[in-house]
Amino acid sequence: MARLTDKAWSPYLAGAAIGLLQIPAFLLLGTALGTSSSYVTVAAAAAEVFDPGIRAIRYAAAHLDGAKNWWQVALVVGIALGALLSASLSGTRRRGIAPVWRRATGLGPGGRFGMAFVGGFVMLLGARIADGCTTGHGLSGMAQLAIGSFIAVAAMFAGGIATAMLLRPVR
Amino acid sequence: MSVLNAVLLGLAMGIVFGFLLEKSRVFEPAVILGQFQLRNFIMLRVFLAGVAMGLVVLAALTGFGLARLAPKATLPVADAVGGLILGAGIALAGACPGTVLAQIGAGYRDPWFTLAGGLLGALAFTYAEPALAPWIGAAGQGRLTLDMLLGVPFWVLALVVAAVLALVLRAMESWRPWRAELGEAADGLLPPAAPAPPAAGRPLPAE
Repeated sequence: MARLTDKAWSPYLAGAAIGLLQIPAFLLLGTALGTSSSYVTVAAAAAEVFDPGIRAIRYAAAHLDGAKNWWQVALVVGIALGALLSASLSGTRRRGIAPVWRRATGLGPGGRFGMAFVGGFVMLLGARIADGCTTGHGLSGMAQLAIGSFIAVAAMFAGGIATAMLLRPVR
Repeated sequence: MSVLNAVLLGLAMGIVFGFLLEKSRVFEPAVILGQFQLRNFIMLRVFLAGVAMGLVVLAALTGFGLARLAPKATLPVADAVGGLILGAGIALAGACPGTVLAQIGAGYRDPWFTLAGGLLGALAFTYAEPALAPWIGAAGQGRLTLDMLLGVPFWVLALVVAAVLALVLRAMESWRPWRAELGEAADGLLPPAAPAPPAAGRPLPAE
C-alpha cells in the first residue's frame, strides 16, 4: 500500500485522490478547483500599491477581493507546502535545476532562468485568455463535461506538443 | 464563508493537493516535457484519473442535490487561442500554473523565475483585458456542456465517461506500466533511447 515515505505513488491513485478535492471545493465554496486566477489576484494586489487605478479595470476588481479569490491564493501556497512535506518525508528534496533541461536545451543556469521566466509569462497569458489552466479547464472543466474546456485542453496539448517537439528529445 | 476561513480551507486543501502532485511525480519537469514529447505518459495518467474521479464525485453531488455545477462559459475562440498559448508556455516552463508551486516546494530553483514570469503575464493580461474583451467573447456560447448537447442527465453521462476513462487507464497500464516511466531518481528522466555517443576519449598518459 501507499506509504507517506514512498517516493512515488501510483499516478492513478494520486490522480483519483486529487479528484476527491472537488468535494470540499463544491460543498464548502460552491466552486471547482483552479489555480491560474490566483496569479491575477496576487499580481493585481501587488500592482495596486503602485497603481491604485487598477481597480477601475473590472477584471482586476473582480479578482482582488472576496473569499473565493483568496481561497485560491491560499490553495497554491498550500501546494508548495504539501510538496515540501511529501519530498521531505520521502527524501526526494530537489535542488538547482532539473537535469532534463540540460538534455532538452543545452542551456546553462542563466539561460534556463530566462527560459523559465518567458515560459511562465506565456503560460499565464494563455491561461487567462482561455480563462483556465490544466486545473480549471483540465481537471475541473472536463469533470463537468464543459465543451469550452474540451476545446481548451485539446488546444493546450496541441500547443505543448508543437513547442516541446522543437526541443531536443528528453530521452 | 469569511475570507479567513476560506484561506484556512485553501491552505489545507492546497497541502493535500501539493502532497499528491509530488507523490504522483507529475510536477517533475521531465514528466511534463516528456508528456508533450510523447515519451512519458505519467501526466496523462494522473490527469485522466483526476478527471474520472471528479466525474464520479460530481455525478454524486449533483445527483443527490448537494451541489450545483459551475462550468466555465464556452468561448471557442479564446479557449482555442488561449489553450495553444498556454500549452506552449507549459512546455517552456516545464510546469503548469499549479505545479510551479509544487516544484518550488520540492526545492527546484528555476520555477521561481516561472512564478515571476507568470505573475507578470497575469498582470499584462489584466491591463490588456478591456481591449481584448470583445475578441475573447467572440462566438461565446455561455454555459454549454456535453450532457446538454446530448440531452441526457449529467450524472448518467458523467458515470459513463468515468467508466470509459477507467478502461483507457487500464489499457495504458497494460501497454506500459507506470513504474517503467519513473526513472532512477523518480523524476521521470529515462536513459536516452538512442545509444549514447561514445564517451570522449581520455588522453592517454604519456609514456
